[in-house]
Amino acid sequence: MGEEHVATIFNAIRAIPGFQHINPGVPASWFVIIALGVVCALGTRRMQRVPSGLQNLVEWAYESLASFIERLMPEGGRRWTPFLGTLFLYILVMNVLGVIPGFVSPTANLNMTLSLALVVFLTTHVVGVAHHGGIGYLKNLAGEPLILAPLMLPVHLITELARPVSLSVRLFCNIFGEDKVVGSLIMIGALIFNAAHYTLPLPLQLPIVLLAIFTGFVQALVFLMLSASYIAGAIEGGH
Amino acid sequence: MAYGVAMALAVGLGLPIAVLAAATAQGKAAAAGMESIARQPEAFADIRQVLLISLAFIESLVIYALLMFLLLMGKLPAVVVQ
Repeated sequence: MGEEHVATIFNAIRAIPGFQHINPGVPASWFVIIALGVVCALGTRRMQRVPSGLQNLVEWAYESLASFIERLMPEGGRRWTPFLGTLFLYILVMNVLGVIPGFVSPTANLNMTLSLALVVFLTTHVVGVAHHGGIGYLKNLAGEPLILAPLMLPVHLITELARPVSLSVRLFCNIFGEDKVVGSLIMIGALIFNAAHYTLPLPLQLPIVLLAIFTGFVQALVFLMLSASYIAGAIEGGH
Repeated sequence: MAYGVAMALAVGLGLPIAVLAAATAQGKAAAAGMESIARQPEAFADIRQVLLISLAFIESLVIYALLMFLLLMGKLPAVVVQ
């Protein structure tokens, strides 16, 4: 995973002094933020009681996410819809962005997924401490029979530390691996007739591109479900 | 030379072994999920959610092996044609 010169639509940013070695995923993520913000802003201006058009779409998305998160987190689920729903939409659009020619998935970069996982990690622990108090939260980590605390506490600590690692590595490797598979298939499809000296490239990567879109959706969903269950576990605290 | 052989075997065989174990486990999880949906079709949404989380946990173990593969792939010794 060395230095690769990916040709994307955002390479023009490299002309600005100071932005010369910017990772192509970073301006792509700015694009996703601005695009999602514009869609939501356009969908919520001049709101009508009976929605239509873009407002309908935005309301449908919000309601589906809210009911899904409510089922994931039995207590106070709807309050978490802005945070978790934004996380889900952001990751979903970032994952799928790489399929479009000229764009690159920002989540195909471990830095991006690690920062997302760290946000979730910090949220779970801050919420847990705010809900139970510092000592109470440590007691939750220690487990039920307090005698077993010297055994359970390191186990739970390691579990807690392994969570951001697994979240970030899962998302990164899924998206990065799919990108690599699609890239290899493009190369095979372009070179498949080389032995016969034809230069007819075959689009062998198209079924795998559909699978990559599906994988992007599933990985965003899994990130959402795991984040919701971690936050719910920190709030209710029962092991 | 033995190091190169060992490295090549590790890079080549590490991921497929992980895939074997994960495919078996995911097959069992999916079979249990389908059986429980057949027994209680109205619980489909809950079962689907638990099934997807379980499949993602098992799949993430394969993804760790893929990460090892990606890290080791650049470290393979160069092929010397004599």
